[in-house]
Amino acid sequence: MRKARPHPKCRMNVPKSGYRVFSANSSAACTELAKKITERLGVEMGKSVVFQESNRETRVDVKESVRGQTIFIIQTIPRDVNTAIMELLIMAYALKTSCAKNIIGVIPYFPYSKQCKMRKRGSIVCKLLASMLAKSGLTHIITMDLHQKEIQGFFGFPVDNLRASPYLIQYIQEEIPDYRNAIIVAKSPAAAKRAQSYAERLRLGLAVIHGEAQCSESDMADGRHSPPSVRNTTGHTGLELPLMMAKEKPPITVVGDVGGRIAIIVDDIIDDVGDFVAAAEILKERGAYKIYIMATHGLLSADAPRLIEESAIDEVVVTNTVPHEVQKLQCPKIKTVDVSMILAEAIRRIHNGESMAYLFRNITVDD
Amino acid sequence: MPNIKIFSGSSHPDLSQKIADRLGLELGKVVTKKFSNQETCVEIGESVRGEDVYIVQSGCGEINDNLMELLIMINACKIASASRVTAVIPCFPYARQDKKDKSFFDIPVDNLYAEPAVLKWIKENILEWKNCIIVSPDAGGAKRVTSIADRLNVDFALIHKERKKANEVDRMVLVGDVTDRVAILVDDMADTCGTICHAADKLISAGATRVYAILTHGIFSGPAISRINNACFEAVVVTNTIPQEEKMKHCSKIQVIDISMILAEAIRRTHNGESVSYLFSHVPL
Repeated sequence: MRKARPHPKCRMNVPKSGYRVFSANSSAACTELAKKITERLGVEMGKSVVFQESNRETRVDVKESVRGQTIFIIQTIPRDVNTAIMELLIMAYALKTSCAKNIIGVIPYFPYSKQCKMRKRGSIVCKLLASMLAKSGLTHIITMDLHQKEIQGFFGFPVDNLRASPYLIQYIQEEIPDYRNAIIVAKSPAAAKRAQSYAERLRLGLAVIHGEAQCSESDMADGRHSPPSVRNTTGHTGLELPLMMAKEKPPITVVGDVGGRIAIIVDDIIDDVGDFVAAAEILKERGAYKIYIMATHGLLSADAPRLIEESAIDEVVVTNTVPHEVQKLQCPKIKTVDVSMILAEAIRRIHNGESMAYLFRNITVDD
Repeated sequence: MPNIKIFSGSSHPDLSQKIADRLGLELGKVVTKKFSNQETCVEIGESVRGEDVYIVQSGCGEINDNLMELLIMINACKIASASRVTAVIPCFPYARQDKKDKSFFDIPVDNLYAEPAVLKWIKENILEWKNCIIVSPDAGGAKRVTSIADRLNVDFALIHKERKKANEVDRMVLVGDVTDRVAILVDDMADTCGTICHAADKLISAGATRVYAILTHGIFSGPAISRINNACFEAVVVTNTIPQEEKMKHCSKIQVIDISMILAEAIRRTHNGESVSYLFSHVPL
């Protein structure tokens, strides 16, 4: 069997049927992750130019032939969400019309994933986004820690939902001295399942925070209020439908014992940090001596860095799915875990048609 | 008018209000905001069940944000059981990257024309219009310009780029005679204004007494405003498909033609199932 040797001048390892990796981001901060991934894969980034014209229209020019090839588009979602989405859609469509065979979107943090339920007269933006991505030419998506796993059902094509938890768990074991004296904390009952899966794998205890300021989100996700809330019932004959009881909002409380322990709060997204800061306060009150926050996607919007710096939180650990260099400069408590290896591995396995099961070997049902 | 609702996106609320006023309606209640992570959120504030919904959103300013807002609003109305949803997009974004041709859409498209409003403006604001000359700043706009020139019964001219040799910069050549005439440049959009400013210089040096520019969409990005201020225009006239208030503060030569009545009339006719083609050659009062 003749073994193909790379040409001495060519630094690129071109696999047998050819795949290319493009980045559709226009800003340098966002292409960092893509660069790390292509380094690990040992391929060169595909040649393309993505920029904003002076009238704010996005322009994408693909500078090489992609005919018959499998293309991976790595797209990071920065603060300018809608522009990043448009960049991805335009590039996918450009590749589709240039006869690429498969177009796989690598979108580590999937945007609008919090708008995946019906809210009064809102729109299920996540479903709209899924339709748009499908129409633009994507045939497969790789993402990480989707906010709701059901979002995979919005797509008509495969969605690989990788997990960052092995990396975060490794960080806990290696970087937190006496982590065996820690307790995993869920900052609200909704996060309990994920917290439980971490606690299981680390063989640690679990605590759940419940109460004030946790109910607002879940109330909104109740869907349309049908029938409409009571206006005037005088003279209204018909079905006597029971009215929805307003939820009682108990004061914030911790279920579980954190006295004399390190508290590790785990969540998928850390964006507005008000809830986290309040959780840290109460945990300190109940006797936790150190407080860590582990989250996959560090959006850290608005003045999150300042609030974290001033709070009782000791460290915030996030992955590099979302660029956050600016926030790190403002707040040295923020640490980053690199997940480019698992993304590169996923790309490699998908291209070679290998099983992805190895990447999920340490994941529990609830993660 | 029963069963009709008009909603405004955040790109051009002023135009939407004008359209609603002309139709004698109130704008529908909608809340558009951005979460702290910059994701767009839209909530329709009243029932649209069974209604004929029109959403007015222009492709200007932060185009991708406005486009996303429009898509989310349309989606929200459809989910809320609106009977029909029509998007009113005065300035259609990404129109230069693909052609905004009817055949590219799977759904009905009505492409309205500003021409009747432009003709009206010329007759009312340029004294010597009967002896003016309509000029196209490039060869592609010849058809547009001859249409206007024919309706005014005046002459037309055009400027085209000529490249003698491969490495030479394009030369602008005027085809037609503009000596001692008022020249009116007509084009569909003005973005950085490089082309029309060069054209204006050319016309003045070829003997035109005054130069006007009439453009449907005044995008005016980058150095456009300073270029206009330094160029020799009598006036630069645009329609209000794109909000112009800010730019008018920095440039006194800009004037605005209000086209809200064309859009309002189109909405009224579409809602009542009447023909819209009347609007291709007439300006509603």
